[in-house]
Amino acid sequence: MKRIVLLCAVLVLSGCVSIAKIETGQHAVGDRLTVNIEGAWNHINAPGMGPAQVWTMEGMAVDQLLLYSGIRDGQAVHSGGGNDNQKSMTYRSNMQPDEIAALFEGMLTRDGSRYRLSKLEPVSLGDLKGLRFEYSLVRKIDNVQLAGVGYAATSRGELFALLYMAPRLVFYPRHIARVEHIGQSMRIKP
Amino acid sequence: MNRRGFIAAGGAACCALAAASAGAQDAWLAPARFSRPDLSTDEGGLWAMMDREERNLRRSPFVIRDRALNEYVQGIACRLAGDHCPDMRVHIVNTPLFNASMAPNGMMQVWSGLLLRVENEAQLAAVIGHEIGHYLEKHSLERLRDARSASAFAQFIGLFGLVGALGQLAVLAGMFSFSRDQERRADVIGATLMHRAGYDTGEAAKIWSNLLLELKARPDGDPALKSPMFATHPPADERSDTLARLAATLGGGATNADVWEQKIRPFRREWLLEEIKRGQHEESLALLDRMSGGSTAVPDYRYARGEVYRLRAKEGDLDLALEDFRAAAALGGEPPETHRALGLIYRIRRQPAEAKASFLRYLDMAPAAPDQAMIKSYMEELGS
Repeated sequence: MKRIVLLCAVLVLSGCVSIAKIETGQHAVGDRLTVNIEGAWNHINAPGMGPAQVWTMEGMAVDQLLLYSGIRDGQAVHSGGGNDNQKSMTYRSNMQPDEIAALFEGMLTRDGSRYRLSKLEPVSLGDLKGLRFEYSLVRKIDNVQLAGVGYAATSRGELFALLYMAPRLVFYPRHIARVEHIGQSMRIKP
Repeated sequence: MNRRGFIAAGGAACCALAAASAGAQDAWLAPARFSRPDLSTDEGGLWAMMDREERNLRRSPFVIRDRALNEYVQGIACRLAGDHCPDMRVHIVNTPLFNASMAPNGMMQVWSGLLLRVENEAQLAAVIGHEIGHYLEKHSLERLRDARSASAFAQFIGLFGLVGALGQLAVLAGMFSFSRDQERRADVIGATLMHRAGYDTGEAAKIWSNLLLELKARPDGDPALKSPMFATHPPADERSDTLARLAATLGGGATNADVWEQKIRPFRREWLLEEIKRGQHEESLALLDRMSGGSTAVPDYRYARGEVYRLRAKEGDLDLALEDFRAAAALGGEPPETHRALGLIYRIRRQPAEAKASFLRYLDMAPAAPDQAMIKSYMEELGS
């Protein structure tokens, strides 16, 4: 955890990071995704952060809400590429729901973290059929045990998703209701 | 020692071991047990740092705590280490990569990816013996002193003393990457320890060639083109000759393949799932092609290989996946996920009856499956 905090501090102090407050209400994420939020979030923006918008309540070292809007066929769901031991996790437009959940599992375990799926179920996001999944994650870098939830749906071959994770004992229970509200509010323009 | 390190060391060992006669190996004597160095010395500082890392490792959720498995692997280390046995502490870490390392204070790490890849007890003994060789020769301390940079070392301690997490151990291992001469020496000692403990030293060469097969399977090309080690070493046939001569010189020994199979079986299914999740499809296929050829745990390997094909999803892969899944199911004792995977393929191929039957079988075999709601929704889509 200290290492992550240190990294975040370096990024902020170096002036590369901007933080914007996201207020209660409806928000567009990209061109086609809208979400409705209750309570303010912090939107972190920094170079090289990947295709998702990163929001947090407590700080990136503690909790992260990743919002993906319009990921195209062949596009990676993370920043950077693959290397000797890290496969690049890319979305394919013909992925089935279980494969989409596995895509995010692959992304979260690229660094050797341990992931366990605890639920995968169908969900309706407006007129679209989507998926919702719950998971636990032991973060390799500091052994912190996290809990998480994800929502995803595809439209016109593009992927729209939300992924949240936070330490399981305090922060996850504190924020999960807000995150579920955001997930259920996801609407994708046709 | 990671995979590339082990392969590099294995190649170096071919030359070194060929030069070392059996007589020379028999003449090698292990040093007396080490006493704890004074804390004011560089060695004492190194031990203290490793002690701290070991305390963190003991608490890590990545450590496999199964008593029987730990006693078994610790027993192999003891058999090899002889008088040094009381100073060896093996920790089995759940990480799906080939790796083992030994710290100067006697802390050894063996990763689950290594246990998945070795075929018998003698092969594991080869790796552990190699690591014990580094320990007995105090190679970590040599490397530290070679650095001859007190300020760099102080910075090093300052950095890692702050955090002390398992993740840093890999970095530490990198700091102590050994020279080629040290690797050769550790291999000679490892082979000597293997031989004295009654193991078949020829098994060490097999690990080397097996790993090479996996690396060659990578889509980014032949390791010979990427690694200076392979670019500068003798051709493969020459290596094979060297290894054959070595095995003939030292004579046969036990592989303990049956014991190994019995001890590893309870963990293999989970380790295979972790291997699949790595997403390194070509390497996994090379591993599974090899393992599915000669093991009694065939249903697990056939399922795992089928799942790698299914996830890779190149042209023709789903047919290969179906073949493996059907074979696993026909053998019996297959993982429940075999039937989920079958159902998913049949669903894509619009074969509703077969898909429903497979999903039903999956839910029957795994009633508490985390994805049962999703599977039931698929079944509803498929209709009656």
